[in-house]
Amino acid sequence: MRISDRISGVFLALLGAAAFWGGSRLPPVPGQQVGPSAFPMVVGAGLVIVGILIALHIGRSFEEQAEAELAEHSQPDPEAELYEKRRQWLALLPPCLLVFYYLVSERLGFIITAAIMIGVLAWAFNARRRLILPVALGGAVFIHLVFFKVLRVPLAPGLLPMPW
Amino acid sequence: MVMALDVLVAILASAVYGLVVGSLPGLSATMATALLVPVTFYLSPIAAVATIITASAMAIFSGDIPGCLMRIPGTPASAAYTDEAYAMTKKGQAETALGICLWFSALGGIAGTLSLILMAPALAEVALSFSTFEYFWLAILGLMCATLVARTSPIKAIAAMLLGLLISCIGIENPAGTPRFTFGSTDLLGGIEVIPALVGVFALAEVMRALTQKDIPPIPHRRLGSILKGQWALTKAYPKQQVRGNIVGIIIGVLPGAGADMAAWVSYAMAKRFSKEPEKFGTGHPEGLIEAGASNNASLASGWVPSLLFAIPGDTITAIAIGVLYMKGLNPGPTLFTEKASSMYALYIIFILANIIMIPLGIMMIRASSHILRVPRALVMPVILVFCAVGSFATGGNNLFAVLVVAAFGLVGFTMEKNGYPVAAMVLGIVMGTMVEQSFVTSLIKSDGSILPFLSRPISAILALCTFIALFWPLFAWLRRYKASFDAASPAR
Repeated sequence: MRISDRISGVFLALLGAAAFWGGSRLPPVPGQQVGPSAFPMVVGAGLVIVGILIALHIGRSFEEQAEAELAEHSQPDPEAELYEKRRQWLALLPPCLLVFYYLVSERLGFIITAAIMIGVLAWAFNARRRLILPVALGGAVFIHLVFFKVLRVPLAPGLLPMPW
Repeated sequence: MVMALDVLVAILASAVYGLVVGSLPGLSATMATALLVPVTFYLSPIAAVATIITASAMAIFSGDIPGCLMRIPGTPASAAYTDEAYAMTKKGQAETALGICLWFSALGGIAGTLSLILMAPALAEVALSFSTFEYFWLAILGLMCATLVARTSPIKAIAAMLLGLLISCIGIENPAGTPRFTFGSTDLLGGIEVIPALVGVFALAEVMRALTQKDIPPIPHRRLGSILKGQWALTKAYPKQQVRGNIVGIIIGVLPGAGADMAAWVSYAMAKRFSKEPEKFGTGHPEGLIEAGASNNASLASGWVPSLLFAIPGDTITAIAIGVLYMKGLNPGPTLFTEKASSMYALYIIFILANIIMIPLGIMMIRASSHILRVPRALVMPVILVFCAVGSFATGGNNLFAVLVVAAFGLVGFTMEKNGYPVAAMVLGIVMGTMVEQSFVTSLIKSDGSILPFLSRPISAILALCTFIALFWPLFAWLRRYKASFDAASPAR
């Protein structure tokens, strides 16, 4: 997910502007010159400045130098790069699985949700088929045991409560 | 305190955990620490700190193992000298290479601890006289250092740091108690919890990265001879390199935001620069390995100096540790050394103990590495993902919202890393945001809105000067480089 500096810089500048504007609208503390708005406004203004500088490619030479130093220490592997490029969207899977956990773990319970997460991710990592199910179930039960039984974290029982 | 059973068990268990996690490529020492936090929740304060110290020290060493044997660094801190170590392995000196990593890591760790013991109480004495003005500049200087040492564009580093500061603005934890940037959400009222954010940036982002990268080839079976044989001779042969590595590591550790990986890069480069035989570097020469190995472990302990004194993290590991210190009632600050002096002594002892047990446990780990490194990544990573969810749920006060925070920060960390924005600078911004704002606003209130007292007190004036030098240093460096390239080009015209 490489984004051009122009886009990331403009994004940061807009974010800074929004923070500045949002900060300026915060209610002041009566009788005091500086209130809750000062800090977000300073930070927001700073972000606007650096965002514009990044969008204008200022400071890029430092980055190129660091990249060149790194390239000295590693060999280029076109096959690995192609692999990475092909799978780059797959990187979104782990955060999506966490959102899945947020949405359904209360209803389905920890064991089922965790087993699904482990199973799906192991599959995405090209794990051996016959290993996926035992690892998904074993992993979920193990983590439940550690966190629920030993550390007393209230994990949702849901549809499949554990005997301990 | 240290000899209590729970502390000893915690040290041993976290040592094994750190060794295993550090040796697995793709799992960094910071990730090992971040995933430990939910467990420290349930331990006594000393045991909690002990787990973090031990696990991080072990992980930094054991990151060298796959570097030596497979040319794949286990943690970023080993990346600087992986080629060198692997070249030694190819020459049939795997034992010596691994031995150097182990022996000089342990010595480096002890040197770093000595620096912590000597530096921290002395600095605490000075720090007791600091007011909010000095704290403000100190925090800003810390943030600026973090942007200076980042191996990328300093402007991007400043952007990442400001982003972190902006994130710290969320919630009602500000001098006026006004809800800021909460968008009506009650979950955001308490602000962004630091630990779930760090788990996202350091653990989830690693899982995401691993998913896009090719699996590593299995490690070849190798019979290893005596690990420590010849190390004493090397210690005597290269004393200068070792001491220089220790000192550089200690200095880099103290600098906020720069940690073990930076220390290793700088020390390796320095070893080559000052070596009598620089042409041997890269061919399996022990000199660079000694200096960098001594350096990265030394930086670990000295990273605790600013963390304990000023709550300014010396590296990403201590950024997490500061959260644990607050949680355990060991609030960082100079008074920690007067009011909780016994805890500090315990901390020193743990550091020394961890570095001593590193040698036998490290040898065991090296012998077992061919088995441990065969554990498929496809089975480890999914379990880590669930750990991220449950761990953040537990540390975030049993609130499912923390899981969303992990997901969001994983995405942010992954995207930033891919686009040259240093994650460590953002983390520093998040961790230090509240402190920066508090000292800034309190100072302004004290001075009635005037900025003069920020510059008129002697120590704060010095700190301010350092801050401005740090701010404009990249510009100076760029101008000098520009002039050099211009001078080089002009005779041709």
